[in-house]
Amino acid sequence: MTRNLLQIPYGTKDILPGEARMKRNMEDRIAKNFLAWGYDEAITPTFEYADTFDLSGADLPDESMKFLGRDNRTFMLRSEMTTPLARMVVTRMSPVEGVKRLFYIANVFRHEETQAGRQCEFCQAGVELFGEANAQADAEVLALAVQSLKAAGLGHFILSIGHSGFINGLLEDAELTPAQTERVKQMILSHNSVALEKAADVISFEPVQKMLKQLLYLQGGPDMLRNLHKHASNPKSQEALDNLLEIYSLCEAYGVTEYLSFDLSLIRNFDYYTGMVFEAYGPQIGFNICGGGRYDTMMAKFGSPMPATGFAMGIDRIILALRREGRFKDQSTWDMYVAWPEGSEKKAIAKAMQLRGDGRTVKVATSPMSYEEAAGACPMNRCEALVYVK
Amino acid sequence: MDYLTIALPKGKLFDKSVKVLAKVGYAADNVVEDSRKLVITNEETKVKFIIVKTMDLPTYVEYGAADIGIIGKDVLLEQRKDVYELLDMGYGKCHLMMAVPAARVLPNIMDYTHMRVATKYPNSAVEFFDKMGMQMEIVKLNGSIELAPIVGLSELIVDIVETGTTIRENNLKEVATVYPSSARLIANKVSFKLQHQRIKKLVRDLKKVLKEEAQP
Repeated sequence: MTRNLLQIPYGTKDILPGEARMKRNMEDRIAKNFLAWGYDEAITPTFEYADTFDLSGADLPDESMKFLGRDNRTFMLRSEMTTPLARMVVTRMSPVEGVKRLFYIANVFRHEETQAGRQCEFCQAGVELFGEANAQADAEVLALAVQSLKAAGLGHFILSIGHSGFINGLLEDAELTPAQTERVKQMILSHNSVALEKAADVISFEPVQKMLKQLLYLQGGPDMLRNLHKHASNPKSQEALDNLLEIYSLCEAYGVTEYLSFDLSLIRNFDYYTGMVFEAYGPQIGFNICGGGRYDTMMAKFGSPMPATGFAMGIDRIILALRREGRFKDQSTWDMYVAWPEGSEKKAIAKAMQLRGDGRTVKVATSPMSYEEAAGACPMNRCEALVYVK
Repeated sequence: MDYLTIALPKGKLFDKSVKVLAKVGYAADNVVEDSRKLVITNEETKVKFIIVKTMDLPTYVEYGAADIGIIGKDVLLEQRKDVYELLDMGYGKCHLMMAVPAARVLPNIMDYTHMRVATKYPNSAVEFFDKMGMQMEIVKLNGSIELAPIVGLSELIVDIVETGTTIRENNLKEVATVYPSSARLIANKVSFKLQHQRIKKLVRDLKKVLKEEAQP
């Protein structure tokens, strides 16, 4: 009976000692990297008014965890961190204008079917760059994503980059009814090549028809973009390709292009992203481990029109990927075990304090013991070396 | 080169899928439905086959345990997994439909509102009835759906039919089509990017072979 009562809800997770220590170390490395790139940490409330999330359009309403406050207004556990940071910038950081670089490492909450490394409560680390619309900002965010994944310890991964302007340009040129456009968007989002090929048959403009049919296969490097540029029929798609090429050439200066690849069918969310979008994948896990892009219209919904770009990485998924690479080992040892016979506790405490001052991790025995007892207690306490203080 | 892991479903799509894949160079010794081996590997062509239960196949692919797979559209529509749907293989044609005992056919579909529906496809059934504005009581079963109305477990069924023989033999009558289905080639989201050239070529080759077969 009691055992059943003591279970935790679906989609939540205890992180036990060992794993928790490794996770903390990893987060420290990521945070240090964000700081090195000029991003400052911000901490926002775990729950906010649901209206704030509804307004931003970043939220997935079906998945949000909501509850009522004392005044019967609806609260919501944050389902992502972009909306809270945007809200904070608009309401708390004056002047609102100017470039702001922020980062967070925080838990977010979603009612969703648990998947690999994704629970209903999971940890995200990410950045937002507010107030700059140019390719420099997007390149910085992309390069920072690469560096952050490396800082997390990942060796093999790629960033797949798309552009919402490219697809929107194609769709405008396709001259479909609003209902048809909506269906085509749905097919692109659900990666349904079979239905997309059929739906594109109604488009009479041949270059657009051909490109939409091939959309999911528009994957490759900068040469593919240049080649597409020749065939793109509308200025919007061409601008998108120019923008991606400019971002790519800046990424060359960052030295990260070996991790980059383009996928022009990548869209993530039609209503939210307005420019470059990207996701990161590793061979160890079937889901994306990081995602982001440019969202220039969202801040206007909060009353302060302002361009913005950013990304979030899934810490739990990265841990899973690292485990599969064999690189994430629970760390649960200490350097020293300080033990003492009857009457020597003060000397033992002084010794432990000295060792800690030298930067060692130290456990002190809680009761007196003989040397033989101490030799046994040392490994049981997962300590590397025994210091016996007489 | 990394291995390409292909998931094949047990059941009616199995034989045909093995044959078609072999024609485009994806074969291994002893790829048989009742294989004792769980993973069958061809070291030369760097291909692995896994043979799984139909309803589980999309999950294997979604998680990336298999890079690609062949599965009926009916299962995809029922499971709604996040996978790439790359190709209609053209075979395994069937459809999901609603049937009632022949003696109890009613004039309008709407007349069946609030009745009990036995099905292996609860999500598809609910979506279908929702669209018609009908509230139903869904009884989820795992097989022998035709039995349900005979023994009074349900008034009607939603099930897959190919030729309709089983339905007729059990004195059932089809009253509405939910959707048509055929075999599809699917791919994991990440595999599709990391092994793009290989999968792209596979799709192209399969298209060619299937087209040739379709010609008399």
